Amino acid sequence: MAAPLNSVGKLSAERSSFSSNATSFQKKTRSKLISILGTRPSVQNGQLLVSTGVTSLDYLLGGGLAVGTVLLIEEDRYDSYSHMILKYFLAEGVVCHHELFVAAAQHNPHDILKELPAPILDDVAVHKPVEQPRLSCDPTDSLDSMKIAWRYQNLPKVQSALASSSRFGHYYDVSKTMEPEILQAAKCHCFYLPDHPTQSSPTHSPMLESYSTLLKSLQEVIHREGFDVAAPMSKSRNILRIGLHSLGSALWSDDLSCHDNPRHRHALTTFLYGLRALLRSSLSVAVVTVPSHLIQDKALMGSITRLCDNAIALESFKGSERETNPLYKDYHGLLHVRQVPHLNCLASQLPDHKDLAFKLKRKQFSIERLHLPPDLSETVSRVSRGEPAGALQPVARVHPETNTWTSRTPTQSPWATSTWNAEALSSLPW
Amino acid sequence: MLQGTDVGGFLIIQDSATYSGRHLLNSFINAALNREESVHVLGFEISEEELKDGLKRSPIQRLHFHNAFIDPLGWTDHPIFTVHQFSLEELVRLVKQTSHPKPATLVIDSLSWILRHISPPAVCKTLQQLKKEGAVRAVIGLLHADMHQKGTVGSVCHLATSVITVAPGVKGDAAVAKITKRSKSGKVMQDEEIFSIKEDLTVIVQSKPNHTGPKQTDSEEQEIDPTANLTFNLRLSETERSAKDKLALPFVFSKEKKTALLHSGPGSGRILYEPDANDDYDQEDPDDDLDV
Amino acid sequence: MYTELNSILNTTPDSFTQGEFILVSDRQSDASFLMHHFLSFYLRARCKVCFLGLVQSFSHYNAVGQRLGVSLVQAKEKGQLIFFEGLKESLSVLISQESNTKSQAIDFLRDPSVGLRSLYEFVRCTVSSSSGGGEKGADGAEEWGPPVLLVDDLSVLLSLGVTVGTVLDFSHYCRATVCSQLQGNMVMLTRCDGEEEADDGDDEGSERLHRGLTHQCSLTLHVQGLPTGYCRDIHGQVEVCWRRRQGDGQHTQKKLFQYKVHDKGASFFARGTSSAVL
Repeated sequence: MAAPLNSVGKLSAERSSFSSNATSFQKKTRSKLISILGTRPSVQNGQLLVSTGVTSLDYLLGGGLAVGTVLLIEEDRYDSYSHMILKYFLAEGVVCHHELFVAAAQHNPHDILKELPAPILDDVAVHKPVEQPRLSCDPTDSLDSMKIAWRYQNLPKVQSALASSSRFGHYYDVSKTMEPEILQAAKCHCFYLPDHPTQSSPTHSPMLESYSTLLKSLQEVIHREGFDVAAPMSKSRNILRIGLHSLGSALWSDDLSCHDNPRHRHALTTFLYGLRALLRSSLSVAVVTVPSHLIQDKALMGSITRLCDNAIALESFKGSERETNPLYKDYHGLLHVRQVPHLNCLASQLPDHKDLAFKLKRKQFSIERLHLPPDLSETVSRVSRGEPAGALQPVARVHPETNTWTSRTPTQSPWATSTWNAEALSSLPW
Repeated sequence: MLQGTDVGGFLIIQDSATYSGRHLLNSFINAALNREESVHVLGFEISEEELKDGLKRSPIQRLHFHNAFIDPLGWTDHPIFTVHQFSLEELVRLVKQTSHPKPATLVIDSLSWILRHISPPAVCKTLQQLKKEGAVRAVIGLLHADMHQKGTVGSVCHLATSVITVAPGVKGDAAVAKITKRSKSGKVMQDEEIFSIKEDLTVIVQSKPNHTGPKQTDSEEQEIDPTANLTFNLRLSETERSAKDKLALPFVFSKEKKTALLHSGPGSGRILYEPDANDDYDQEDPDDDLDV
Repeated sequence: MYTELNSILNTTPDSFTQGEFILVSDRQSDASFLMHHFLSFYLRARCKVCFLGLVQSFSHYNAVGQRLGVSLVQAKEKGQLIFFEGLKESLSVLISQESNTKSQAIDFLRDPSVGLRSLYEFVRCTVSSSSGGGEKGADGAEEWGPPVLLVDDLSVLLSLGVTVGTVLDFSHYCRATVCSQLQGNMVMLTRCDGEEEADDGDDEGSERLHRGLTHQCSLTLHVQGLPTGYCRDIHGQVEVCWRRRQGDGQHTQKKLFQYKVHDKGASFFARGTSSAVL
């Protein structure tokens, strides 16, 4: 077990020497890592990032998810948007030719994969049919060792594929599902808990049988497919994307959400510890969703969060009184950033702002700042305030286009550039 | 001061994470040493060096340290005193090891450590036996109250003759001590004092309880008459009251009114009524349902 | 190593108090930047350092260490640093449940009820092998100062099913060995969940661990978020509290500072004197 440590050390030494030398022109020294599709180094600390599939979320998390980390998503009440983000994450993996590992206890992972949203490949779709460019391999030297497209080797290769798949982050059309051809090109490992009968052996370990089976099969995949950092570097490397759905729910035979004082209160945290241990020594990145609204013990949720690296929480307006609140009428829910990672750096990148809201459009899941701008017309708004009990402050909203958090305009400060659009103001409810 | 007065007693110093009671404990040890008594310290949470460092200016010839700090659970091969040896026989043996004419004071630092590993009933039993036995003159124990459930703290303190609860003071070095003392006759004294400990471990009481503590101010507040400083008048003077009494109120049936009504004047009107044919007279006896 | 913190604590790598147990804690904030400080501090002070890294990989500490101007790899090669990487050790236990004889230290993962005795044995062997004074420069190896034990962090043990009492026993033994017997220093990080006044009253939980450790330690550094809420320019506040009577007879003493973590260090300032405010 000494080998992975050394090479991890080497990798990070490389990374930090890159960042401490400060000039960004030295990126070439890291060409080995850069050659992986769909990744890019972080501008902040030189870490290898992958996209979550949601461009605005990437920006929020400091550019993307660092390889070797876990993103925790606290599910919204009906698990609709968190499930969507998980699918975006997996779809992005398919487009970038990453390998996938999907585990769930509720839905069959194969069904989850079938429902992935279709990518919008606007920059290539003009001339060529969509599936053709997607099927071609990365034309760089790693061609022969890429396993993804082996059964499509006889299909025409089109160079323009690189243009789209090497891009970091894509947009998806949620109204369409991904073409099966694209999907088949991706290498997926599925873990459906009911398919893995757990034999309850008497063990003193705090971990549940279901979790330890999952951890074992994860480790097997990582080891077999060569995602260990320890694996020989000569081989072309790829990223393993791990999506774990609704951990901690009763279907994982976990009683976290059932009792105030659960019997297996350390099961999930122990699993997450093991997961972190696995990820840190491999080229993989995980998204974990947890139904936190069911977990009664808030202190427990704190320790779960701390064993992940990134943590966000989704709070959907569905079913809450906020749904009818005019303040939120353009949004589908609120997004809370619970934790930002401290990895290989002292200062983590803190978000500018903590009041964030999300909305799901057909072609984009976007996260925006929730604005509380100055109260412009005092009397008017006071008069019209006798509405729903949930109405908070009278709010005028800035035109969304000017401050959407997309990676295209990452540096612009919403306050500096937001224009007071008269049209937008006049369409307000008061 | 409490220092020298407890004979055959059991004193508990209760502290919390915000303020350590160890300084006060050191003062007690110092006072006992200065009285030329021998002191046995059973140290779970403090090493010998640290303790002696804290008692630099005291005559430590009579201080006997029993080291339960280095290996309280017997993890190494040669434990000196483990927490499971906390029983009457072992303690008496410890104290008897050094022969002194006078019975000694036993200091336990701290009870919390013991309570974490031995069930509270067993600890209480040992402490009670120790008190009864008479092998030691007094027992002083430190207890971190915030480490245990309320019931545990309560039952241990129930055995004590005195309990001092220390808490941080408002300013500087000063701390607040709440003292509860039970005499043999069953009388209970409660006191609250602000104190500080000087470098030579003498305790300085800075103020007496009458103007400190939130409890005091509470009861004072209740005594204040809420009607005292009003901008309007709620009370009547004597003349005002008589004037009020004199006033004849309308609609009160006074004597004058009564007579005026009964003796109607000569020219007063009277209503005469003669039934008319067109009168809508109800033939029925209105009271026919009554069984008269 | 943050020089501003050194002057607050009145220490330098050349002269520091021995036998101290420093407790670093946080609440709704992240105090791990202080662990990096102490790690680099004691490496520069030429102490023999034993680091129990339970929550992050070695590469993480190394990467940060380089920003602070120390190389952990070199220190490891020289034998100055013994690094215990909990994540790596745990994998073999968590995945293959059968007991292997390779490492006993992480035994508690297999069965939390056995306690942390084996982990303590690991610490004891590590710290006493060097500075016991027995093998002085026999092979020309460098001499190291008093031993230092750093733990990042203790509360993760609770998440792995270990009870509070067991963790307190472990820290007690470490303290007895490192601080008292060997006159070395000890720095431990623990993290509290939730609100301050939650007071669960339960036996288990990070609150109780924090209180118990506070009773043991001689100096606490407690990191919190700002009471006024989130701020980009001031990351939080540190409460420094000396609990032991020092040579000059000082009592429990408290000081409050605000801090900001930078890329290569952190700055500390009195309340309200952030450069962003003034």
